[in-house]
Amino acid sequence: MTAPTLDAPPAVSVRKAPRGLIRTVLRLHRAALWIWFAFVAITAGLLLWLIGPGADATAQKLEKFGYGGGVMEAAYSSDTFLYFTSGAYNDLFYNPDTLLTLASFGVALFAGGPLIARELESGTAQLAWTQSVSPARWLAAKLAVPAAFIVLGTGLLTVLYRQLWSAHSNLLIAGIGPRSLYFSIGPATVAAPLLGLALGTLIGLAVRRTLPALAFSGFAYFLVYAFRGNHWPFQGRYQQPEIVSRSHAITSTGAEIGDPGCYEKTACLAEHDVVRFTRAYLPSPDYWPRQLLETGVLLALTAVAVTLAFAVLRRRAATL
Amino acid sequence: MSSTSTTPAVALEASGLGKRYGRRAAALDGCSFRLPTGRISALVGPNGAGKSTLLAIAAGLLRPTAGTVTVLGGAPGKARDRIAYLAQNKPLYPQLTIAETLRMGAELNPARWDAACAARIVEQGDLDPGSRIRGLSGGQRTRVALALALGKRPDLMLLDEPMADLDPLARHEMMGTLMADAADRGTTVLMSSHIVSELADACDHLLLLGEGRVRLGGGIDDLLAAHTLVTGRGTPADLAPHTVVESRTAGRGLTALIRRDGPVGDGWATEEPSLEELLLAHLRAPEAPALLTPGTTVTAQEVTA
Repeated sequence: MTAPTLDAPPAVSVRKAPRGLIRTVLRLHRAALWIWFAFVAITAGLLLWLIGPGADATAQKLEKFGYGGGVMEAAYSSDTFLYFTSGAYNDLFYNPDTLLTLASFGVALFAGGPLIARELESGTAQLAWTQSVSPARWLAAKLAVPAAFIVLGTGLLTVLYRQLWSAHSNLLIAGIGPRSLYFSIGPATVAAPLLGLALGTLIGLAVRRTLPALAFSGFAYFLVYAFRGNHWPFQGRYQQPEIVSRSHAITSTGAEIGDPGCYEKTACLAEHDVVRFTRAYLPSPDYWPRQLLETGVLLALTAVAVTLAFAVLRRRAATL
Repeated sequence: MSSTSTTPAVALEASGLGKRYGRRAAALDGCSFRLPTGRISALVGPNGAGKSTLLAIAAGLLRPTAGTVTVLGGAPGKARDRIAYLAQNKPLYPQLTIAETLRMGAELNPARWDAACAARIVEQGDLDPGSRIRGLSGGQRTRVALALALGKRPDLMLLDEPMADLDPLARHEMMGTLMADAADRGTTVLMSSHIVSELADACDHLLLLGEGRVRLGGGIDDLLAAHTLVTGRGTPADLAPHTVVESRTAGRGLTALIRRDGPVGDGWATEEPSLEELLLAHLRAPEAPALLTPGTTVTAQEVTA
């Protein structure tokens, strides 16, 4: 190291190019972006329909005949083999949740496959790293851009879902359904696909081949899904608590009485002088503690997965 | 210990470089050399000699497991914006069009991108900028990959078998473009290839890798001048004190490639070997001692040795 030319390299100013990098990431994953927009638009449309015109018929039945008479009948009358195709308001109410779960799986698979592993397998990641972009900044952009769309999309859907709950949860048939829906929709709905993104990214970087990365990402997100859905044996103590609903029949004098059990017999309703019914779920004091705990756990796991992803990247490439 | 010059005269320096993949034999093992700035260097060696590994380490894509490498005066990866790297399989994003690929080059290299240069290389191949990469032939992809590499205006180009899938005409034309650009701008090029005739025309420097280290390194003219092809009657032992790289019995006599140590004795017909003869002799004789010409060795001591 005595040759003078070897020492004191000129300070190379590494120009920051975040905007160009973000535009490139957007262009590379255009197809995934359009699919995401379509999912958000369709789900938001369904939610708005459920908040608005979709609920009218069932809401009128509830008001006229009470919970037992109108809503239950409406839900069961059109029962089909695939419940989500039945068209009953009670079943349609859960479809956005199903779509959100599928989309979260999709995010994990996208992160594991096309976002990371396919690029490493085909060498295009190395192509990006030999432009003026360090692997660490490349990975940061690859995580940040999808994460922004996930937060915006699922955030919007979660707000709409909460609106739907406060507007029409009284039309749901009581049981584990409304309970688990009530406790699962919230900040954790946004955090879960973020964890999917982070896990998929970590697996993609570790496995480096598209098909195994897809399989492992799907399995990893299945574990997240099982954890969220209380499908684990050890979660027995963490089962969703009961949520309380109040039903009343209201007489022509405005007095609230218990449901006389008339169902759809109008003579019976006239005899008890019932003019309308009301029903509402009361907010549970357990909602925010449970949501915040779940969100905290999901985000902590996300942070761990992201940290590990950068560590794996650093081991592989000379990141500077 | 400090330099007043802003451009280091050494573009690439490796010292004891080693790279091991898992438990397999090392791809690079004690690889040391120095590539001066402005040279166009051929990286030659048998398959599995570590050529691709060396280029990927220099490009900042792989971490060596031993030794150090200095690229344009800094650690590899420090100078990403000044290095162009062309991988053997020419990876490009299949879902992008050619125009979008070049726009990506502009967006990822904001400080250095030369759009006109990149567009010119694409135009020379009669390629429609609107066509998608996935529909291109191997040679057309190579052209786009080279446009991306040259559009960056690099100071150091690391090319892994750049012309392998081009037809002879396109190869000649692309090589001409590449060399004219390199000569124009004083770009240092390190290029691996198996096509010796292509290297002989384009390169003025040689690095021959074998078993993970440099077996022959230096200016091609110097290396050729240091060797002599001798023909005559006798045995390899008769050629002492010269170093016999490789010898073969041909007819009734002996043909040998030697590194001269003083004048060659009487009774031997001598001629200067061609680059192909030099390379083939060394490839056939992996046990021949390594030779690095002064500008190519790493330490000052070896220069005087």
